[in-house]
Amino acid sequence: MAPNLSPPEVLHSVPEIERALAHIWADAATHRGDGEHHVAARSSVLNLVVIAGPRETSDRCAAIIEATAGRHPSRSLILSALDDEGRPGLDATIQTVAVATAAGADQTGAETIYVTVRGETSHHLASIIAPLLVHDLPVALWWPRDPQFSSHRADRLLPIADRLIVDGSSWSGDGLDRLGAMALVTEGRRLVVADFALLRQARWREALASVYDLPDLRPHLRAIRSITVEFAAPQGGDPTGLTNIVRPVYHVAWLASRLGMSVVDPMRRLPDGRRVATLRQGDHAVAAEWRPVCSDLGEGSTVRVGIVSRLPGAELVGDVTAGDLSVEVAIHDKGRERVRRTYLAPRLGDVDLLERALEDSASDSVAAEALAMAGHLIAAEPTPRRAVARSRRKTQEPGP
Amino acid sequence: MSPTRAPVPPSPARTARQLREATSSARRRHRPDADLNPLRQGLRLERVPDPCSFVLFGATGDLAHRKVIPAIYQLWRTNLLPAEFSIVAVARRPYTDEAFVAEVRASVEANSRVQPVDEAAWAELAKRITYQQLDFGDDAGFDRLGERLDALDGERGTAGNRLFYLATQPSQVTEIVHQLGRVGLDHELRGSGWRRVVVEKPFGRDYESARRLNHEVAKVFRESQVYRIDHYLGKETVRNLLVFRFGNGIFEPVWNRSYVDHVQITVAESLGVEGRGAFYEETGASRDILQNHLLQLMTLVAMEPPSSFHADALRDQKLAVLRAIATPNVERVRHDVVRGQYGPGWVAGVETPGYRAEPEVDPESETETYVAGRFTIEDWRWSGVPFYLRAGKRLPKRATEIAIQFKEVPLPLFRESTGDPAPNVLAMRIQPDEGIMLRFAAKVPGLGLDVRTVNMDFDYGTSFAVDSPDAYETLILDALLGDASLFTRADEVEAAWAVVTPIIEGWAAMPAPRFPNYAAGTWGPEAADELMERDGRRWRRI
Repeated sequence: MAPNLSPPEVLHSVPEIERALAHIWADAATHRGDGEHHVAARSSVLNLVVIAGPRETSDRCAAIIEATAGRHPSRSLILSALDDEGRPGLDATIQTVAVATAAGADQTGAETIYVTVRGETSHHLASIIAPLLVHDLPVALWWPRDPQFSSHRADRLLPIADRLIVDGSSWSGDGLDRLGAMALVTEGRRLVVADFALLRQARWREALASVYDLPDLRPHLRAIRSITVEFAAPQGGDPTGLTNIVRPVYHVAWLASRLGMSVVDPMRRLPDGRRVATLRQGDHAVAAEWRPVCSDLGEGSTVRVGIVSRLPGAELVGDVTAGDLSVEVAIHDKGRERVRRTYLAPRLGDVDLLERALEDSASDSVAAEALAMAGHLIAAEPTPRRAVARSRRKTQEPGP
Repeated sequence: MSPTRAPVPPSPARTARQLREATSSARRRHRPDADLNPLRQGLRLERVPDPCSFVLFGATGDLAHRKVIPAIYQLWRTNLLPAEFSIVAVARRPYTDEAFVAEVRASVEANSRVQPVDEAAWAELAKRITYQQLDFGDDAGFDRLGERLDALDGERGTAGNRLFYLATQPSQVTEIVHQLGRVGLDHELRGSGWRRVVVEKPFGRDYESARRLNHEVAKVFRESQVYRIDHYLGKETVRNLLVFRFGNGIFEPVWNRSYVDHVQITVAESLGVEGRGAFYEETGASRDILQNHLLQLMTLVAMEPPSSFHADALRDQKLAVLRAIATPNVERVRHDVVRGQYGPGWVAGVETPGYRAEPEVDPESETETYVAGRFTIEDWRWSGVPFYLRAGKRLPKRATEIAIQFKEVPLPLFRESTGDPAPNVLAMRIQPDEGIMLRFAAKVPGLGLDVRTVNMDFDYGTSFAVDSPDAYETLILDALLGDASLFTRADEVEAAWAVVTPIIEGWAAMPAPRFPNYAAGTWGPEAADELMERDGRRWRRI
């Protein structure tokens, strides 16, 4: 990584930021970064806007963005709203990085704009963001902490974005209210949601799909009778019900959405900490169960997914478990082990997750359907405020 | 936010396979009972290969060790192969299973694009490798091979599916195919699994030998079972050509004789024959590059949009281009095609010997190491637009590029404002530094009206700084999936030879040029420049 091309001058208005950006890129066209390679023509691929909140979140996001700069040269805006009560205004600094893309190749550049807002200005983040976007490039809005989907801020920010990036597994409490709110607020919008919680499960999905790759087992996909997800919880019982279970919910939501299931009885919590729901696939019921278990894994992590299907004279049990580096699939056909295979599939780090969130368009529709199904599973209901917003959108926006 | 902002565009990194899968997904929405695994939608592959045995002929050879086995390892490592998978390595030399596995392990270490070797993944793959010594003329040996494959179906669950990969000398292909047919290993009986054969180029030496080879292969395998591999077609940027042309709407309207002045396609190598002198003596640039790589690139540039990205739809359009290329007669060969051979010279600051001084090369060799030609396509889209193709060894640099040069503006308003009114060029670099460049005129800032040519350069590396799969990984996976889009069909091969064979025969009928006729490290013989200058054009400076 070449050194920062620009001094960390503190700027105090959007026009100052705009002028500084223009100046930096004019300089970069002739700047000799390391004495050997000049900064190549800029090829930004997106705008990445981060609603960071406190400083430590902002720093963590900045480090992740910097690590992805070679792959996604972006204009990144990291916004922190520190003080609701102070004098209105903003402080901004710009950091540019030049990244050598290959040995001997030219460098590409990316810029990160750090904006800290104060007072009344913090209620108008959208007005700061809009003029700083690179024209006509997609906008990804990364909301790394607890997004307030039922807020004025969300109402103003979400229309800016083409892609919303969140991490449902980091949300406070069990995460289900927020998951439900996200399912509702994104419904009918041209907004792609990339949830790290769902992206983390890609290795699980590959493994679960592999259960039915053998052609003779595929008919079982239409005969699922139960889905059990075991997740790590305190004392193995989740006594407070506050373990974040967004990831375990996504497993069932994904399976249900892909296999054409509908929700008969939404999820409910039993006294022993388990949660259950009833789905329907064709003419038969499917029992869904989320079971808290003791585990060394982090709270809310999936420990095991089991699927039982039943055809006349045949029962198939697919079991998937995962460790840090691999996922193991075991298939029992009529009580006998048919396949046991370990997939090398390490857990994804934050940098991998952000890269996938930005580029994995192939699975967008799958993610949208899984999110909608998650909303049905947890019986998310629109609040009056959301209901109004939704009806307004439906009358104003053309259909997808 | 601008209320008119466009929706997120589709990812330009989508490959032909992804486009095909997207198409099939769209179709599947209307066919809910399609025999696909719905859980795979949105995952890396919408289909995974069936359980199968991969029978690798020529398993001890260079190609198997450098390319095929490392590609299989990489596919295995990334979980793209089924658990019910086995490799049966076949070659003449005696090996135990253990000795062979140890040898290919060393090859994977040396040639895998991802290092270090993943021990756990390798251990699992190694369990699935067995070696069978087999002389290709030995009937009993092929009988044993058939028995072994049947046994593996039971032991490993490979379900009777077999892919025969012929990484052998071209001269051995017919014999192996006959033997496979003799013992019935080509038969796809109901419920017995699929059988496919992958054949490496060259597919013949000329039109007649290609026809004979196709005929012999067709005696045993149906065309749909045959996968002729030209690794060039598996390269990421070659496949991106399809996306560039058919995934963007703005180029198609100008992609024709009304706007295009001419097309240049260059495959330049800075290397010499690199120890393959004996092979190259038998092939030369026309057989090694022109007949396959250059003509394949030409078809991708010139083809009509296919109705889908399925194998035959794509290959039908490529075939139409090949059949529309005007076949050169002797006079046109003399006039429109140039051959060359490098002499001693300097490449990248290193003194290099001439071709005739290379090991295994005849000191009086008349084999061409350079070929350039002017070709025309007789169809409505391209009639009158020359395609200039060139390929050579020991040129100043390694570069593969397709350049579409557009016609000049009808009225040059700014002729006096610029010293060099260069027409627009759209250049697609295949290797190295894959990218796309558009050349256009721009006003120089200032009070005057000075116009200068500028390049707008898009570099894949700066936008998608991500490792591309090796071409063999792509193609082997496609063959296992039964997707022949990126493989060459028999009629394509013959149509390409129908273009090149008259050139080879024309050269045989005329006196050879005085070889060597270009120095290593230069851009080829003067005659190649004259070929362009006669048309008032010049080769691009790459």
